[in-house]
Amino acid sequence: MSITLLSFIFEMQEVKAQGPPIFTDTPIMLGLEGRGIRTFGRYINKENVSIYLQPIAIPYNLTAKWQVGTIVPFAAVSPQGGDSRFGLADIKVFTKYQLVQKDGKGKTFRSLIKIAEAFPTGNTKKSPPIGADVYQTSIGLVNGYVTTLYGIYTEVAYNIVFDGRPDNLIYNIGLGVPLLPQNYPPKQINVFLEFTGNYLPDNKSNHLFIAPGIQWINGKRFLLETGIQLPLVEEVSEGVKTNFIYTLGTRILLF
Amino acid sequence: MNLFINFFATLILILFIGIGTNLNATAVLEDTTTYVYVKIEVKGLSCPFCAYGLEKKLKEIEGTTDVEIDIKEGLAMFRIAKDKQPEKEQLRKAVKDAGFTPEAVTISTTPFKIDKDDK
Repeated sequence: MSITLLSFIFEMQEVKAQGPPIFTDTPIMLGLEGRGIRTFGRYINKENVSIYLQPIAIPYNLTAKWQVGTIVPFAAVSPQGGDSRFGLADIKVFTKYQLVQKDGKGKTFRSLIKIAEAFPTGNTKKSPPIGADVYQTSIGLVNGYVTTLYGIYTEVAYNIVFDGRPDNLIYNIGLGVPLLPQNYPPKQINVFLEFTGNYLPDNKSNHLFIAPGIQWINGKRFLLETGIQLPLVEEVSEGVKTNFIYTLGTRILLF
Repeated sequence: MNLFINFFATLILILFIGIGTNLNATAVLEDTTTYVYVKIEVKGLSCPFCAYGLEKKLKEIEGTTDVEIDIKEGLAMFRIAKDKQPEKEQLRKAVKDAGFTPEAVTISTTPFKIDKDDK
């Protein structure tokens, strides 16, 4: 399997510091001054390769409207018929700034701008590579309308990939519904239906996944979530198509 | 006999004085440890997991105890020692710092009731 094809998979993998949707980002930044951590295991099953990703995301709120953070991912890559490798993948730093906040009783609309930079820290000297082997800069807009009855989340981001590689446009939408009454301390089961997309303007190829998920919250500081992404549209070469992407994760507020 | 009656009368008197003194002591205890109760209307509270940040910010105010948050009604309630009663503006700032919008702040000498019907 070529390094470019594998690197492309890493370019396509978005990692978030915070939910509550499982795959789409959220414009709600918890006022916790960063004392939270999110990690999840993501298993990507493709026709000719399996990848396991374990990112650790740590956000830090500089103010109620401004967040910075880092994402440190580890990856295990197992190509079909080849040797497996495990190691540090591409580290990412990001910043989010809230542009709009309209609050009402039991509801809020928020919009923020997000800028992220991915560094090619993953080792790509040996095959299979554990990273995209290229700097990437993304700029995006994250919106959310969240009430005690449902939440709608959208995210659009343009990811500039350097070294002449094709850029990609990320587009995600998520709908979440709580199944239990919204009380505090939380005891919640939330279900999500998300669509996660990636469009490559240079190649004119589109990737769209349907992603149902479920979230379980028991207490003030612990959340467990799981979801699966199934391809609806995937305009890529034969042999590298995705069978499914399975995610199991947790979010812990440390203090 | 008189001595016996005097003894019982004195005993009953002492008992009454004792009870009275105790009542007074209780009243003094209540006076010295009086709390004020705070209720803040908070807009933007739409997610219980997000409310933890609000609880933390309110607890950073010195003397704050028993923070309760009612997501449905958009209320944060707690009590605070009277001698440490903060300014309303300080309370509003704590809510803003947690990422929410504060509305009316009410401070009372009697506790607020929280609707626990659906809890």
